[in-house]
Amino acid sequence: MLTIKRVATLVSINQELEQAAGCGKDCLGSCCMPGAKLPLYTFGRRRSGLLAGDSDGDNGFLDSLLLAQWEDRMDKGLFRYDVTACETMVLPGEHGFIAQLNEGRHSKKRPTEFRVDQVLQPFDGKKFNFTKVGQEEVLFCFEESEDGTSQYYEKAPVSWSPNVIAINVSPIEYGHVLLVPCVLDCTPQRIDPDTFLLALQMAVEADNPYFRLGYNSLGAFATINHLHFQAYYLAAPFPVERAPTTLICHRWKKGGVKILELGNFPVRGLVFEVGDSLEDLANAVANTCIYLQNANIPFNVLIADRGGRVFVFPQCFAERQARGEVEQEILDTQVNPAVWEISGHIVLKRRLDYESATEESAWRLLAEVSLTQERFDEVKKHCLKSVFNAPNKVKVEMPTMDSSLHLMGLSGVALNGQSEHCLVLQV
Amino acid sequence: MELGEEELTSSVKRYYKESLKHSLGQCDFNFVLSDPRLPDNPIVYASEGFCSMSGYEHHEVIGRNCRFLQGPDTDRRTVLEIRDAVREERPCQVHILNYTKHGNPFWNLFYMAPVYSRKDGTVVHFVGVQTPFSAAATAAAAPLASKKLNLMDAEKRKEARSECLQQIQGEAPMRVWFALNEIQGCVCFVEADEQEDNHKCVAKDEDKGRAACAVQTILCNLMENSRIGGGGRGVAETRCKEIAESAVGGVVCSSLMLSLTRIQQSFVLADPKLPDIPIVHASKVFCEITGYSQEEVIGRNCRFLQGPDTDPEAIRKSIAGEHACTVRILNYRKDKTSFWNHLHLSPVRSATGEVAFYVGVQLAMDIVDSAGDENVGMTPYMKQLGAVGAVKVAVRSLQGSGLRRSFKKNSEE
Repeated sequence: MLTIKRVATLVSINQELEQAAGCGKDCLGSCCMPGAKLPLYTFGRRRSGLLAGDSDGDNGFLDSLLLAQWEDRMDKGLFRYDVTACETMVLPGEHGFIAQLNEGRHSKKRPTEFRVDQVLQPFDGKKFNFTKVGQEEVLFCFEESEDGTSQYYEKAPVSWSPNVIAINVSPIEYGHVLLVPCVLDCTPQRIDPDTFLLALQMAVEADNPYFRLGYNSLGAFATINHLHFQAYYLAAPFPVERAPTTLICHRWKKGGVKILELGNFPVRGLVFEVGDSLEDLANAVANTCIYLQNANIPFNVLIADRGGRVFVFPQCFAERQARGEVEQEILDTQVNPAVWEISGHIVLKRRLDYESATEESAWRLLAEVSLTQERFDEVKKHCLKSVFNAPNKVKVEMPTMDSSLHLMGLSGVALNGQSEHCLVLQV
Repeated sequence: MELGEEELTSSVKRYYKESLKHSLGQCDFNFVLSDPRLPDNPIVYASEGFCSMSGYEHHEVIGRNCRFLQGPDTDRRTVLEIRDAVREERPCQVHILNYTKHGNPFWNLFYMAPVYSRKDGTVVHFVGVQTPFSAAATAAAAPLASKKLNLMDAEKRKEARSECLQQIQGEAPMRVWFALNEIQGCVCFVEADEQEDNHKCVAKDEDKGRAACAVQTILCNLMENSRIGGGGRGVAETRCKEIAESAVGGVVCSSLMLSLTRIQQSFVLADPKLPDIPIVHASKVFCEITGYSQEEVIGRNCRFLQGPDTDPEAIRKSIAGEHACTVRILNYRKDKTSFWNHLHLSPVRSATGEVAFYVGVQLAMDIVDSAGDENVGMTPYMKQLGAVGAVKVAVRSLQGSGLRRSFKKNSEE
């Protein structure tokens, strides 16, 4: 068993409190939720029309609501510090790594041990989870509407196990929230197609290229083993969004999910781009992540470009840290490279690290996170296989019987057994 | 958001003389001018060439953002590059897949360059030049295939190739790839040659040269025909003042302006570092509610809204304490009528962490609609807070140097 010691970030007011059963505190547990009323945003499911270009003109409904509710909680003093008072800058250079000096985020608690070699772990009700979050920390519930339109209700009776958007009381940036799908289901931290689709739908509904969602698996610096995504606003591109990509799969049929590989970036990763169908994108990414989970490979996921681009990064920093393979200098910064850091947004706890940060030092840190090229190529093969051979139909590019094969994979992985005419070999 | 025709034409008139139309008319290029200080960076001038290239009529183009040229296969990362060039207020050159009005895709070598004001260094317009091209060579998508070919016998390769082609009854020209799998040996893939790789496409050097020349010519024309006098000093193709420097003078840079104009609420931004905390930006809705124009408001302290019966003490306290507050204050419109203003005030910080502005979001109580279900939709107060949040996100990254890249080497510092 491999473990590392780290201090968990406080994301909720109640996290520090003793784990008392039954609370009288207006939490999100089965003690307080039945009969509760919370704000509710219902979104209309979008089936198509997910173009690359920005939406026209004004800020969207969900956007304005989320910002409004967040600002309201700021006024009410629910956050541990004012994140907008934290200095932030772009490190000189073409990649545009973003550094922030945030001395308040780091909690003074003792470091605890986290197991880093088991990506899938069963839910443990005794540990902190999101049912213990106070209802005041919930900005609103997020559910699909019945009539296809978007609407907001100040107070609506909660469904049995709603999807909630809660504040992160130790925000990295303005608007930092947690999306907890089906909070009372008590699902452990893992990706599945339905909840991933929900996260994508939130990105689509927010319709803002500067609002991204992120996911950390266990072993890739998630500290709470209760299914959740994070999200926040930052009006600047992340370095990973700027990085060039190489198409892995040729598009044969118009409208399929595009799969690409990241280039010129310290952490190796796959990029999935939406075609006609958001569901197909969700399935493609989820199938990849399910492979990684089952193969016990820690990973992080970034949802960017209004739900149109999803980055998947398998990583091994925690494992290397546990084995003592990471440079002490890097460990001293106490940066835990999770999805935001990997994307290029690095929050630093000490002023000396902030003032001496450079593009090179950021690159060096992130290079420690990446799988080696050899290992990544292996993992990539399996990921791609799991996308195409999945039982749920993913329209990526399945050629018809009488058209040519499409080629796939730079390492000779073949796919689909549809045509007997070909020399393509099944791996 | 409808833009008045006057706003669009005055965008050009304000900075350039009448003679510009004539000299631009002589240019054979496809190009547009857009104004990032108007909502959504709309096109304010389009050349004949642009219209015939895109298939749109002149009136279908003026007032719209250029993104209507994008379509389903347009690369998302390329769109990000353009968006970020606008945000960083700098030039960019991209190869982008565009579409005509009738939905026909074409590859476009798109050059964009800012036109800066000589007076305060802000971006006055963006010049966008479109040069359609046909691919020089489509980027191959399988470089590793050729590496593995070396390991294989040339004779066997020929054999495999003809076998493949025989078995696949394709009429169209084919490309044959080989890949080597350590366990199973050589694998052959076949692909139709006309499959478009919409991911990458590179223009020939001559196209690039033409495009660069076009940008230069247009910029020269703009500079030669720019208005000087009456406070203006003309335009230039390079910045005379860095964004941070202009910001000190109370000028709102174009990329921040672009974010602010997305907010559909009445609000003003005031700069506490300048004497008497003047307004540096007022939203359109503010002007509609109060009856003042932007020119009448910018540079003045907000107190012109107050009258004999107003008590501004709470506002003063809030600014002194650098904290947010909500006050109910009596205000007066330009036509001297009064209204109760549910004003929400908040400090807004930039990337340095220091207070850069105060945002004041007005809510005129007499226009609040009390009819209708109060449980449905956002309350007016919530909408005010939403405006505050949007301002905070924008200012943090876009005010002063903000979160824009710099290319200074560390050794120079």
